[in-house]
Amino acid sequence: MDFFSSMNISSSALTAERTRMNLISSNLANAGSTRTSEGGPYKRKDAVFSATPLESGFKRALNSAVGQQTRQVEVTEIVEDQNPPRMQYDPGHPDANAQGYVAMPNVNVVEEMADMISASRSYEANVTAVQAAKSMALKTLEIGK
Amino acid sequence: MPVNGIFGTTIDVLGKSIDLRTKSQNLISSNIANAETPNYIPKSLDFEQELQSAVKSGSKGTPAITHPRHLPLRGSGAGLQSVTGQVVETPAKTPGNDGNAVELENEMGKLLENQIMFNASVQMLSKKFSDLSVAIKGGN
Repeated sequence: MDFFSSMNISSSALTAERTRMNLISSNLANAGSTRTSEGGPYKRKDAVFSATPLESGFKRALNSAVGQQTRQVEVTEIVEDQNPPRMQYDPGHPDANAQGYVAMPNVNVVEEMADMISASRSYEANVTAVQAAKSMALKTLEIGK
Repeated sequence: MPVNGIFGTTIDVLGKSIDLRTKSQNLISSNIANAETPNYIPKSLDFEQELQSAVKSGSKGTPAITHPRHLPLRGSGAGLQSVTGQVVETPAKTPGNDGNAVELENEMGKLLENQIMFNASVQMLSKKFSDLSVAIKGGN
């Protein structure tokens, strides 16, 4: 029985999607933050996903072709969106420049909402995969009952 | 051997099928997990043809292949034990901008199909054993 690798793969995806969801929340929460500890307005953050082999070294060498082809997912990097800040005319704002423009975060709320739905759906798909593996493993234990 | 008569090839085939479905499950999970990873190409395990031809060729009395240099004695099909399936890449017809080729709906369908076929094999195997048990106990 090799259902545990199936569950490990899916749970790696759950972790990755949750990380992505945290970043989306952070982007949405800070859609109006004009001050950060690094200075300047908040910059949109995004997770970089990479497919990595499940096991490394000796165990992988022992695996069959299937084992070598399965990939879990990992968040390898969190990058800041380098797009320029959105300039908004608001002369009364304390962070307004001499021309009356305020540098606002480069967060597009609509884009974030779409991303959030996508992350949430992916999370659900992986939960279903975990449930399938679990029910298959339990079904196997029924043989000979 | 009389034992072969009792446990027939059905149990071997079902066992192999369960084994291959488990491996297939791993690949499908891997595809779903990487549904948003750039440049990821989904993979699937192709074994139905191979299993079918092994079942056809492996009738009763065929000597088992216990060494890689043994020649199969019947037809071209290899023995049941040597069926491992082929890992094939399934690129999408219309890949997205990030080079990811996973079609989530497709993968969820494959996940469901694999699960049902797995359950079917397990159920048949379970039934086979309980029938044997009935025969041994003389119907009691």
